[in-house]
Amino acid sequence: MFGKLLKYDFRSMLKQFAFIWPAALVLAVINRFTLNGLDSSSAVGETTAGITMLVYVAILVAMFAVTMIFVIQRFFKGLLGDEGYLMHTLPVRPWELIGSKLLCAVATTLLSIVVAICSILFIVPWDGVNWGEVFGGLRYVLSHWNSHATHAFFFLLEFLLFLCVGTAQSYLHLYLSMAIGHLFNKNRVAMSVVAYIAINAIISALLSFLGAAGFRFGFFDIINNTEFFTSRPEAVIHATSLTAILSISLVGAVYFAGTEYILRKKLNLE
Amino acid sequence: MNDQLVTCTGLTKRYGGKTALSGLNLELGRGRIVGLLGPNGSGKTTLIKILCGLLQPTEGAVLVDGQKVGPASKAIISYLPDRMYFADWMKATDLFDLFADFYADFDRVRAMSMCASLGVTPSDRLKSMSKGTKEKVQLVLVMARKAQLYLLDEPIAGVDPAARDFILSTILTNYNEDGTVMISTHLISDIEKVLDEAIFLKDGQITLHDTVDNIRERENKSVDALFRDVFRTHDLEGGAF
Repeated sequence: MFGKLLKYDFRSMLKQFAFIWPAALVLAVINRFTLNGLDSSSAVGETTAGITMLVYVAILVAMFAVTMIFVIQRFFKGLLGDEGYLMHTLPVRPWELIGSKLLCAVATTLLSIVVAICSILFIVPWDGVNWGEVFGGLRYVLSHWNSHATHAFFFLLEFLLFLCVGTAQSYLHLYLSMAIGHLFNKNRVAMSVVAYIAINAIISALLSFLGAAGFRFGFFDIINNTEFFTSRPEAVIHATSLTAILSISLVGAVYFAGTEYILRKKLNLE
Repeated sequence: MNDQLVTCTGLTKRYGGKTALSGLNLELGRGRIVGLLGPNGSGKTTLIKILCGLLQPTEGAVLVDGQKVGPASKAIISYLPDRMYFADWMKATDLFDLFADFYADFDRVRAMSMCASLGVTPSDRLKSMSKGTKEKVQLVLVMARKAQLYLLDEPIAGVDPAARDFILSTILTNYNEDGTVMISTHLISDIEKVLDEAIFLKDGQITLHDTVDNIRERENKSVDALFRDVFRTHDLEGGAF
């Protein structure tokens, strides 16, 4: 059933972004020619290049704004508004509804980031690049693979994981705020905003308390003084990033559990 | 298969200080058409929402086909809410896909033929449909299932008398005869002729639950006339807000 929910969430995402993703890429290609192809000393060339650049930047900004609105709307309207009458009477469990919305939201965000990166790659003039050298360098790294390369590879993986988990956690923060806001019979949007700020305050107070406690009881000395860490600077970075990923996941799990509890026990559709 | 399709024991629902249902007990069998009758604010919608899992009771228990409310009970309940529940981007055919995916008892062929007889073009976007057409699409979705329990919340409240007959005949010609249909309304004269049983709901409690034949025989009047007598002191349309 979870897969079927995902199918419909992804379908609505594709409808929403069917225009803006291709538009960003097409505008990037156009900019490539207006920026590099037109004679920038002529007034016409300069103005055209300026205008297409402006439109491209506007589309990128709009793309991320639409992503944000999409993430919020799909939860607020899709599960807590009138559409909730359909979704909550389907033979599925509340965690599946939330999980499907979350996966789709994270995927949408990552795709928007990928589109943005691709569009920049489209604009950049690659003329001066010596591809032989680039591939030669890559081949060298692959043939002389060592522990530095392995660490670099895992740093990259950790960064990507951090990005995904961080995005998911910030969306779960939004979901829990909206779920709390919908418990009120009036001013639901305003109460969601209040809930968002309150959760933020509570979590940052809690985290700084834990941080202070960790300092007080010497948890950080382990990293600073243990021979295992002092002799391996990479290990410090791995330990730090994994701790960050873990703590973000834990906070996200608490948000998820809270949202699931509210939808299961306290659903309050208008 | 359980003897009773629906069993409610001591069902209570409070919204803050307001009590919508108060210790309600109810047993419903199979293969009947039941009218859930009461003025506005008597708890009809609350009862239906608890049965289909949109609300949690404050106290008491509900069993549908012997099971607690959850995915299993939702799979055999076909629910028509008192509002539109579509996402704007969908076409009626998208909704048929969705229902076919989630409900094993959804009959797509029947849905298409119901659309034809109701004059609905299923490939149109819902956004471009009139309110009446959207209501028809929703009715098609609900009645094209071979469900055990149909919960229809005010299906005829917002439409003109001609459309009421149309909707009622759609319900009667399409429901699963082994299943039970529960229709909530305060427009009793329009549906009395199709009912097997009537439930009178007043201030969150059942004041009467019997077959329509028994009621007529005992009271020597129609259910509609009895309803008017029982609820005379109430403002039928306005309700007490």
